Amino acid sequence: MAAQTGRTHERWNRFVVADSADTLREIPVETVGDVGLSFDTADVSALQDAIKNMVSGMPGAPIKISGPLDNAAATTVAASGNAPTLSGSHTVLSAIAGDNKPHTLQVLIGIRHYWETGEPVFGLQRATASNSGYTCTKYTVNGNKYTAEFEVMGGVAPAWGTALLTAGS
Amino acid sequence: MATGRTHPRWMRFYADGYDLSGFARQISELKQEFGSTPDAALTDAVKNVLVGQASLGVGALNAFFDNTATVGLQAALGSAGASRTVMVLIGMRGNPAQGDPVYAAMLEQLEFRIKQENGYVVANVPFGDADAVAPNLAYTQPWGVLLHAKAAETAVNTATGVDDFGAATTVGGYLCYEIFSSNGTVTVKIQDAETNSNGSFADLSGATSGSQDASSTPKAGIVALARNATVRRYLRWQIVLGTATTVTFALSFHRATY
Repeated sequence: MAAQTGRTHERWNRFVVADSADTLREIPVETVGDVGLSFDTADVSALQDAIKNMVSGMPGAPIKISGPLDNAAATTVAASGNAPTLSGSHTVLSAIAGDNKPHTLQVLIGIRHYWETGEPVFGLQRATASNSGYTCTKYTVNGNKYTAEFEVMGGVAPAWGTALLTAGS
Repeated sequence: MATGRTHPRWMRFYADGYDLSGFARQISELKQEFGSTPDAALTDAVKNVLVGQASLGVGALNAFFDNTATVGLQAALGSAGASRTVMVLIGMRGNPAQGDPVYAAMLEQLEFRIKQENGYVVANVPFGDADAVAPNLAYTQPWGVLLHAKAAETAVNTATGVDDFGAATTVGGYLCYEIFSSNGTVTVKIQDAETNSNGSFADLSGATSGSQDASSTPKAGIVALARNATVRRYLRWQIVLGTATTVTFALSFHRATY
């Protein structure tokens, strides 16, 4: 089936992050927080202006996820158009939380079916040269559920695309 | 060891050699947080972070108040302001078994307060950050693997072990032992191996409780390896019986991966 356009449901979202060996893994998620760049602003209004006005500043792109605690073995990420193959959330996150290393991270938005190349992807591919990628800054387990938070490392911004990011180099 | 997802009912809570699972109603968050405030240089494309110091903790234990002498909740945790060796186990759809995830740290117990809740008298026991004298202050990864589920042993271990990470590592780790009872002195330790066969296992240097006697009082502790210690791929529990002929214990290892 080809890439589709239009609206979709969150059930087709996928979350893929590189593990401690920089191999892409998809982990089970129940919620994926806001995805995208969020810009802070500076109010530059003058008294003589009829309306308040501002300029955009530096963007941030934190990502928060939550889902079921899972210690399944790590497995290969499913290709475009295929049903997801999941690695354990605990298996992946417990090894990278706080490692202070950049990892490739991406959120795949399937459009009314399993994600296909050509459909939206938001993420950042690891680049060792610029020490850029996402790093896990928080991993919390509450009963049988986890929450995790990721922040950008390095000065390269994540972006929207339509192809699966690699683990980087 | 089952893998996959589970239910909170299979969690267990041990502290200072006491199994408090029979009183525990809820264990709040098992946290691993890192100071990291996003900032940016003018030419950066996005706010970014460098990971700082870790903050660990188990939140609070909410449990049924129990005044049974020696083993009740009040006997075990009635004195707040003390350091506790805490082990929280997550059984995977069953009682915790070898290979299951374990969270362990030496934490400050902040309070022991009772209240009425739904007709019951319950105790709220919050824990703070790591104790200042915790042996594992050099480690930021509190998650490990259960090597020995709570059970009695009367002989040395000749079984194969656990593959917790898929490879050997060279950045150390720490063990946590909870010895619930014994009838004399015993040493609980960890062995590692390159291949998962009985004859390949040898003592992991430094990974030992030393001689402990839990015949009158339970014993617990954390023993940290050197930060550059090599830990081979496979791990198993091992005991050396001194004057004891039986020991009931739980043992976990928390391998550092960075």
